[in-house]
Amino acid sequence: MNILIHDLSKEQFQALFPEGYHNACIISDTGTIRHCTGCFGCWIKTPGKCVLKDGYENMGELLSKTEKVTIISRCFYGCYSPFVKNVLDRSIPWLLPFFKIRNNETHHKRRYQNNMQLAVHFYGEIPPEERETAEKLVKANCVNFYVSNYEVSFSNSLDELCREVTVI
Amino acid sequence: MKICIINGSPKTGKSTSELLIGYLMPFIKENEIATYKVCEMDFSEAQFSKIRDSEVLIFAFPLYIDSINSVLLHFLIELQKREFRNKNTSVYCIINNGFYEGRQNHLAADIMKNWCKAAGLTYGQTLGIGAGEMLPFFKDIPLGHGPNKNIGIAFQKLVCNMLSLSKGEDLFISPNWPRFLWKIQASLSVWYPRAKKNGLKRRRLKDMAN
Repeated sequence: MNILIHDLSKEQFQALFPEGYHNACIISDTGTIRHCTGCFGCWIKTPGKCVLKDGYENMGELLSKTEKVTIISRCFYGCYSPFVKNVLDRSIPWLLPFFKIRNNETHHKRRYQNNMQLAVHFYGEIPPEERETAEKLVKANCVNFYVSNYEVSFSNSLDELCREVTVI
Repeated sequence: MKICIINGSPKTGKSTSELLIGYLMPFIKENEIATYKVCEMDFSEAQFSKIRDSEVLIFAFPLYIDSINSVLLHFLIELQKREFRNKNTSVYCIINNGFYEGRQNHLAADIMKNWCKAAGLTYGQTLGIGAGEMLPFFKDIPLGHGPNKNIGIAFQKLVCNMLSLSKGEDLFISPNWPRFLWKIQASLSVWYPRAKKNGLKRRRLKDMAN
């Protein structure tokens, strides 16, 4: 299974994928998402599952079944958009609370053993310094989520984004 | 001097960010200070107005997935939209992360730098502190002593720059506590006792959701 996480409006999504985006679990903003409150309930209360029941509580399990995650996000200051960031914040159930040392840095151990690929497509007017930060951010996310293959692209417009995104 | 402190933790209750703001207060108490919790803000014009008028803006927040949590990010976008009257406002950040190495806060600091540029504000300095979940265990030890030695020294440097509206190199530190011990204690003193309170046995923490 592949996952697409995006922050596009319905109209933008249809313009980008007029024939739909098939064979993927699509995670978009339904307006119901609540933010991670840092309670760590997904680690110490209901392991592997977020305690907030809003339709986004199964991110850890979803990620455990995926081979490729594609993210389409507007870039803000070298970070994702608030919605996409929210989904990522809610994805820590994929990890365990315990630590291990990798490359002389501490990181969380993984709950699941599946290996994911990641493709991140940022769009918007993105200054060079924000691009640099965003590239580093994706790389750091890959370290923490044990992703070995990843790609990052930047598009100034949705038309440009359309050419960048590989349809599964 | 008008100082505005934004607690960027998404937690409504006690947080490490709140603890760090508490550490900062004695250093800056002579000033006119307003403090807001980003997760409790109503985004009213009155609140934004006070923030936009400040000479020093301080953000204290935890690292979430190598960067800024979604609540704070949303707030930053809204704040930028409203434009600052005082373009000389200097921004300082106190970021804590759950990993041992304070250095892992550097991307969140870069994002704050980028936000300052977008908002037309002056980026002052970031203090990034590792082992954030452990800091409450040391809360009764004075800054500059024992495990809080590095934090105390770093706070002195940060406050010195804040009060003189100066820029400084970002500071990334970890508590004066061995990493191997911190790693063991994270399980024994934090995760296992919290799980036990929820009626979970240790092995259950590795459960896979199905």
